[in-house]
Amino acid sequence: MININNLNFGYSKQKPLFKNMSMRLSNGHIYGLLGKNGAGKSTLLKNLAGLVYAQSGTLDVMGYDPAKRQPALLEQICFIPEEFYLPSVKIDAYIKANAPFYKNFDHNYFADLIKEFDIPVEQKLINMSYGQKKKVIIAFGLATQAKLVIMDEPTNGLDIPSKAQFRKIMASAMTDERCIIISTHQVRDLDNLIDTVIMLDENDIALKATVEEITAKLTFKKVKEIDNSIIYAEPSLSGYNAVMPNYHQEESKLDMELLFNAILAEKIKFKPLFS
Amino acid sequence: MNNTFNINRFSLLLKRQWLDFGKIYLISLIVLLGIVVGFYSYNIPSPLKDNNFDYDGNLDMRFRYPLFLILGFVFISIVASSYFNILGQKSRAILELMTPASTFEKFLAGVTYTAIISLFSYLLIFYLTDLAFVKYLNSHLNAFNRPGIRQVESITNEVFNDEGYRKYCGYFFAFPFLVTSIFLLGSIYFNRFHYIKTALSLMVFIGLASYLVVKFSMWIMEGKVPYHHSYRKDDKDWILLALLLLTSIITIIIWAITYIRLKEKEV
Amino acid sequence: MEFRDNKAIYLQIAEYVCEHILLGKWKAEEKVPSVRELAVELEVNPNTVMRTYELLQNKNIINNKRGIGFFITDDAIDHVKSYRKVLFMEDELPVVFRNIYLLNISFGELESRYKTFVKENFNA
Repeated sequence: MININNLNFGYSKQKPLFKNMSMRLSNGHIYGLLGKNGAGKSTLLKNLAGLVYAQSGTLDVMGYDPAKRQPALLEQICFIPEEFYLPSVKIDAYIKANAPFYKNFDHNYFADLIKEFDIPVEQKLINMSYGQKKKVIIAFGLATQAKLVIMDEPTNGLDIPSKAQFRKIMASAMTDERCIIISTHQVRDLDNLIDTVIMLDENDIALKATVEEITAKLTFKKVKEIDNSIIYAEPSLSGYNAVMPNYHQEESKLDMELLFNAILAEKIKFKPLFS
Repeated sequence: MNNTFNINRFSLLLKRQWLDFGKIYLISLIVLLGIVVGFYSYNIPSPLKDNNFDYDGNLDMRFRYPLFLILGFVFISIVASSYFNILGQKSRAILELMTPASTFEKFLAGVTYTAIISLFSYLLIFYLTDLAFVKYLNSHLNAFNRPGIRQVESITNEVFNDEGYRKYCGYFFAFPFLVTSIFLLGSIYFNRFHYIKTALSLMVFIGLASYLVVKFSMWIMEGKVPYHHSYRKDDKDWILLALLLLTSIITIIIWAITYIRLKEKEV
Repeated sequence: MEFRDNKAIYLQIAEYVCEHILLGKWKAEEKVPSVRELAVELEVNPNTVMRTYELLQNKNIINNKRGIGFFITDDAIDHVKSYRKVLFMEDELPVVFRNIYLLNISFGELESRYKTFVKENFNA
């Protein structure tokens, strides 16, 4: 679905953001893109969508070069930016103007999503709250039936019931033909949805592994004391939350936040595990 | 699928852009109408005023020409300058660039709105207002109490019935397009304060260019050409033709640059 | 469904399915929710549910009828019980034993408590 080869990118020549980054993404997955502020999560997503141009390297998205911005590719991409503007019209008018660009737009599905998200259809888009607007463009984006779904911090601005609705909707939106990439720093909102973790750090991909691979190699658990086997630990109410090599084939639950902090702190120890 | 131009997609794009652009555009048309009507009401001859007649003894409607030119410049330049300003705002630019239409179609939609629709709606509004006021004046000619008073002609009739006007107007055909192309480029080139920045750049450019032209011609011609050379009319036509060509070519070049800027726009 | 922190999600979903079978909510030879339906209900990635269903298939608790979906096997309850028994013996019993040992609880006391518990909860 997506093939990134030796991508070099930076907003200025002096400060490169990605150095020789290579990665393959395939359909049938929900990728969770993690990284510190400024690590380049949004920028990587924009590269994939052709909104910014790489300095060198190649990018292949479904056989197209996204930088060319060809309509045939654009209609297969659903991009939900973190910040966006919607015109001062009602949903109907918005759909009428935008949906015809997408051959496969599913009007019934859109209506279902709007209903599920509890969005007032009679209200003008511009007067809606940030969360409501976000739900509208998520619903629109999914109804386009685009094969590549890119979401930049989708749960930002959603209230608690909306987050649950969002998870349900994403669980049903994930099909074998689709590739879904979600950047987030609110891991807890999405950790059961993500099946592959991509972590950006220091101009490159620090980790790309499925949850299955991660929990096969690492175990996450609460311990009372720290010993040598532990790679990284954080104090908690009853001892420590720890990451350690999975010596006994334990089937623990991946703690994404802990993993994130662990990789930032102990990058060298993780390198040999996932190479 | 044709990834460069598809007429169906292009018409969808025009409709889509209308959603964003249309409301502001309609409001500016109303404002424009108000201004034209205002100027006409203030300036048309009236029995209550003193100097209603030009030196030919006709009702004085000469205010129409500067009004037409200045207002026209201001209107089409403002419209052009607001078209691509959405691309300067990150939040709007992303959804704009992700719309499944080709860059060429997006560019062409910009040209259609700024150079064609805005220019023709300006001409239409000016023409209709002028016609209405001329009709009104002509039906109240008696009020001026002047024997042998002639009917006022609409601005279009005045221009097209006058051989001199008719002849020279054509040479300036490309000027409004040049203006819109410059301001359209400005709207994508600058991220904020497009109008002021474009207008300033334009002024600086014109100032600099005329200074250089004067200096250059003085350098090659000073002391070499007779100061009082004989005036030949056909020379002037040649210059006008060159002007038409030059403005057309510059317009097309600026449009090409705009297209490239749009293609290279990053958010 | 609330997920706990100590066990892989796909195993917790397996327990959830087993629970439904043991409680008789899902009966033998009935169709279980599709991967997508269950994923939506539990707000998890469908791939995770797929992994659960593969596990349950291996344990002969459900079987896959091509093109129709997953069905509960006719002897699912027995398989669930043996699967759960292994889990209990391996995961939970050591913790209980540790407490019994540390707190010096006699087997006699355990037995009487166990009997009352069964009487109160299951009317057996």
